[in-house]
Amino acid sequence: MTPSDDIDALAAEYVLGTLDATERATVAARRSREPALDRAIGDWEVRLGPLSTMVPPLVPSDGLFAEIERRLDRAAADAGGSADTRLVDLTRRLRRWRTAAVAFGALAAGLAVGIGLRETAMRSEPRSFVAVLQKDAASPAFIVSVDLDTRSLTVRPVAAEPQPGKSYELWLINDALGTPRSLGVIGQEPFTVRPALAKYDPKVVETATYAVTLEPQGGSPTGKPTLPPVFVGKLIQATP
Amino acid sequence: MLQTAQNLADVMKRVGRRDRRAFAELYQATSAKLYGIVFRILGERAVADEVLQEVYVKIWERAADFDAARASPITWMAAIARNRALDEVRRRKPDVPALGRGLDEMPDNLEFAAATDHPLDARERSEELARLMLCLGGLEPNRREMLLLAYYRGMSREALGERFAAPVSTVKTWLRRSLAQLRDCLSR
Repeated sequence: MTPSDDIDALAAEYVLGTLDATERATVAARRSREPALDRAIGDWEVRLGPLSTMVPPLVPSDGLFAEIERRLDRAAADAGGSADTRLVDLTRRLRRWRTAAVAFGALAAGLAVGIGLRETAMRSEPRSFVAVLQKDAASPAFIVSVDLDTRSLTVRPVAAEPQPGKSYELWLINDALGTPRSLGVIGQEPFTVRPALAKYDPKVVETATYAVTLEPQGGSPTGKPTLPPVFVGKLIQATP
Repeated sequence: MLQTAQNLADVMKRVGRRDRRAFAELYQATSAKLYGIVFRILGERAVADEVLQEVYVKIWERAADFDAARASPITWMAAIARNRALDEVRRRKPDVPALGRGLDEMPDNLEFAAATDHPLDARERSEELARLMLCLGGLEPNRREMLLLAYYRGMSREALGERFAAPVSTVKTWLRRSLAQLRDCLSR
């Protein structure tokens, strides 16, 4: 392994998050004086970054922003450097240490329970799957995201060109179903399918092939694909 | 509020010039995304609240360093958020599973469509996601799941070893191989 491989592997694991506390601290210190490592970390953040777009947003509690603004005000005042504000800051820090100590106690108490709950927790959140529909490896055209638990599906055009007088139609194909089942006509905006998918077994949804055909405007008049698919793909797990 | 990557980059530029109003806009547009990310790793509201505050203070301090040519604003901010959350989760007992904690706080009706159609995920991000998913699709399912658990849940090598019944050293080898494979696939 060459040193540059080493740096890249370290940067990759740093961004993935699997380094331990000591290794993380070492990398954080090294990156400020090693431009190659810093660059490698930046590259990995960009490579893996799209995964973050799959995380469901969660609204933080009210008042958090006000607290952040107070911190900025305090930091600005500290920069002014009066003895008063420094004292305030020390008192604040002491309070935080106390809170942290209490939190650690609670954490230890919760540990035993936490281990037992782990498996349940894994399943309590929706796992999401993504299918990239493509003609060939170089031309992804649509992204289909599926939440198996609620059986809802969202399809987004990536690079599919609109065809005048034609419509793209999405199909669910699985041997268990016999003929392909239409999931609807895809426009240029993302759309979500809920009821259509809910009637299928999760196993069918997970193992199916998703295909897009180019149909007359408004979709296939017969309810079956009129032409062979232009883009196809299968689901890949996107969040655990 | 609808924010595309481009006008988010403009807002970030203003934040870099110490514009507090722009900072409020940035928080408004991005805090639910970043909170979702740190909460998944930390699994506890109180800790996630504290970490999110530190993350935004850091974003305020570093906004002038943001380089739109290197990353989108949300990728840059998500990296700061993940780093802070991972430092926190590792600093605590190395093996405390984040997964069990905060279980009852996890909303059980997460709107998946809202997640994928989040205004920040403008179409320009989709192409990168598509390429990454294709490359992830090339990994064995077990290896892929390992990467996803590490990335989204902040699972340590030890926790992964336990889950996949493998020694820590093997986990490390698998992770590094998967990551190298991913890098090669993405550079094609």
